[in-house]
Amino acid sequence: MLALYRSVLYLYPEDHRREFGDEMQAVFAEAERSVAVLGASSRMAFYGRELFGLIAGAMEEHIRCLTGIRSWGVLPWRRRAMRSDFRFSKATPVLMALILVAILIAIEKATAIRNSVYPASSVHVGPLHAEHFTFVPSLMLMFACAYLVGMIGWAIVYALHRSGVHRLDGMKGGTE
Amino acid sequence: MEPLPLSEPVLLILVSLAEAPRHGYSILKDVTAMSDGRVTLSTGTLYGALRRLLNDDWIERFEDEDTSRGRQAYRLTANGRRHLQTEVRRLKQLTRVASLRVAPRER
Repeated sequence: MLALYRSVLYLYPEDHRREFGDEMQAVFAEAERSVAVLGASSRMAFYGRELFGLIAGAMEEHIRCLTGIRSWGVLPWRRRAMRSDFRFSKATPVLMALILVAILIAIEKATAIRNSVYPASSVHVGPLHAEHFTFVPSLMLMFACAYLVGMIGWAIVYALHRSGVHRLDGMKGGTE
Repeated sequence: MEPLPLSEPVLLILVSLAEAPRHGYSILKDVTAMSDGRVTLSTGTLYGALRRLLNDDWIERFEDEDTSRGRQAYRLTANGRRHLQTEVRRLKQLTRVASLRVAPRER
């Protein structure tokens, strides 16, 4: 998992990674060792929280680098990242779907603008070769995959929560 | 500068460092213990907060003897302690008013 953590760290801006990357890895390794003795649901919660915290943190760092805005507490997922029992909000799939739709609309509008500037008659279209499927389709595919993975993750967490397996952590073994 | 009132994770991090210099993992454990397990910070959340607190000069790096395994300790600066005291006073005032208002009234 440390290798995965290290690779996710590359989402951060380089200066943040250079300054805190080694420390973050060391702290993650220690925290991982401490949850190794816990149950499967606790370990899942730990990895989910870490992954979510890293991605949200990386986004905030990029926003800060680009705009100078410091967004602690402004972005709703930061509050979620500190929760002891990590879980997706029910609104998450809806939010992700809205983002996906917004991206698709933006792509469509961009295409319309391009067509208005360069009419179809003056532009040679097709046949489309593999080299045309580069950035935009890859981006769409990436978002679709992320959406799918998010949905699956949410379904698993929701199913675990419904099954009551998270309550096993609170049970104490043995009676006197 | 960190806006007041402080968010709960930042407040807990500052309270943790007010007692003694700590490194990252120690802060994580202390925050969880102080909040009775209710707040568990991820490393991403922790180091985002530490970076901002360092930039604002609320905390500083501390040369600990145990620098093995990439450990870096942090401690509160005088500036950070002053802001933390301000926040604690604000919370005291708030809890005092709240206690008075939610206390059962005698008829």
